[in-house]
Parts: sequence; structure tokens; C-alpha cells
Amino acid sequence: MIDAGLNTNKWVAADSADKPLDRLPKAGRIPGNGAVWVGIYAEMTEFALMFIICFAAKVHYPAAFSEGPSQLNISAGILNTLALLTSSYFVAKAVGCVRMNQINKAVHWLWGTIAAAVFYLLVKAWEYQWNTEQGIEVDTNMFFTVYYYMTFNHFLHVAWGGGAILWAIFRLKRGAYTPDSHEGLEAIASYWHMIDLIWIIIFPLLYVLR
Amino acid sequence: MFVISNYKKLDLVWFALMTMTLASAFIAESAEPGLLVTMAIAATVMVKGRLVINRFMELHNAHAYVRFSMNFYFYVLPILILVVYLFPEFIADLTRMSG
Repeated sequence: MIDAGLNTNKWVAADSADKPLDRLPKAGRIPGNGAVWVGIYAEMTEFALMFIICFAAKVHYPAAFSEGPSQLNISAGILNTLALLTSSYFVAKAVGCVRMNQINKAVHWLWGTIAAAVFYLLVKAWEYQWNTEQGIEVDTNMFFTVYYYMTFNHFLHVAWGGGAILWAIFRLKRGAYTPDSHEGLEAIASYWHMIDLIWIIIFPLLYVLR
Repeated sequence: MFVISNYKKLDLVWFALMTMTLASAFIAESAEPGLLVTMAIAATVMVKGRLVINRFMELHNAHAYVRFSMNFYFYVLPILILVVYLFPEFIADLTRMSG
């Protein structure tokens, strides 16, 4: 049963008394806080510029961009994609658990995110090593210059985003987030999803489209 | 009526994202590059992006500005992918430095 008193808090839609406890927060809100969205928009803009540079480079060096994707390790690209999407899913599950006051379960989901992030970083490191063994370097051609610039930048975001997830685990264990108050967790979750979104674009641009 | 909770819906979203990733990789590996393949890849980017934005980020009932701007990004990028495929010379002319 849902306590009708919950309806007074900001996370619960007014008409949700008869809905499951894991319902969505109120309509029209900004997830997390305004500050994190300034960061998210800044990051999305930065990557948008990289995508535009990638498009411009592609039309000026069509041969390099046509052959480039097939010279990359597609398995590494797919594993990276599956790992990041799964990590985002784990974060969303953790936020849902906090709303249902299942804090320990939320911590487990976030450790899952860390595992997926570490897996991603290891696969990427292995992929860079594999590239080197194939004779691929940053200055091999324009495709690989763009590839390294974009993927290493993204790699750094996964690394420090993982740090933010660790912080969220620490805060969860300290009892900082409750079903009624977890803006900080939502902010970190939104940032992590942004990292996933950027990879959703990078993967086809570099590994798939020829 | 049977209602799937939002928490459970996340499982379906994850499954859809995994399937689309594997399908687009399979298409890319097995099919020759062409307009249809490019359109399929661009559509996959749009659908995957919107699923993460609306379901994982929970923007589908969030503030309209945030929801619109994030979704807009995932309309523009797939369109740019198609424009670059269809009009590479035009884009090259636009981005060529004179002199």
C-alpha cells in the first residue's frame, strides 16, 4: 500500500496514489538540479563540435573514412556499446530502487555500473593496443586522428563519470539519499546517461558507417 | 488490466537497446554501404537516443525545454548523417577553406 502522505512530496505525481511505488516523479520537473544540466549541455555542445568536425573530415577524406571502420576492431566497438548501454540501465534501476527505499539494492546496481564502466575502459585500452599492433597510430590518416580524438575524449568522460558513480555509492551508504530526497543521485545519473548518449552516436560514426 | 511498472519497463528498454545495437552491427558487417543501410543506422541512432533520454533519463515527463532540447539533438544528428551521405560534395564546398 502506498501512504497517501507521500503525495505531498515533489517526487510523486498527484494522481499516483493508485500506481506502483516506483512511479515517475512529478511531470515538468528538471531531473537532478539545474547545475548538472549546465554541465550536460556544455558536454553535448563539445561533442557536437567534434561530430561536425568528423562530418567535415569525412567529406574531405572520403577514402580514409570509407576504409577506416573496417580497419577497426568492430568487436571492441560492439562490446563498448553493450557495456555502456547496460551501465546506463543499471543506473536507472538504482534510481528506481532509491524511490522504493531499497537502498542496498540501489548500491548493488551502482556497483554493476562500475563493473560495466571498468569493462568498457579495459576493452578500450585493449582496442588501442590492438590498433598499435596493426600499425594504426594517431597520425595514420585523418580518420584515425578523428577516431583517437573522439574516443579518447569519451574514454576520459567514462573514467571521471565512474568517479561520480563511486561518490554516489559512498553517499548512498551514508544515508544521504532517501525516496523523498535524492537530487544528487539524479544529477549523477543524468550525467552518466549523457556519456552513454554520446557513445550511441560515436559508435555508428566511427565503427559502422562507411 | 495488467500494468508494467516503470521499474520493470527499464528491462524491456535495455533489451531493445541491446537488440538494436547487435542488429545495426550485423547490418553494417553484412550489407554493402548504401542509402538504405545509412537510413537504417541513422534511424537506430534516433531510436536508441530517444529511449535513453525518455526512459533512462526519465525526460518523457520532465520540463519541456529539457525534454525538447535533448530529443532535438537526436533528430538533428541522424539527419546530418543522411545529409553527409547524400550531399558530400556540397558539405565539402561549405567547409573548404579558401586560398
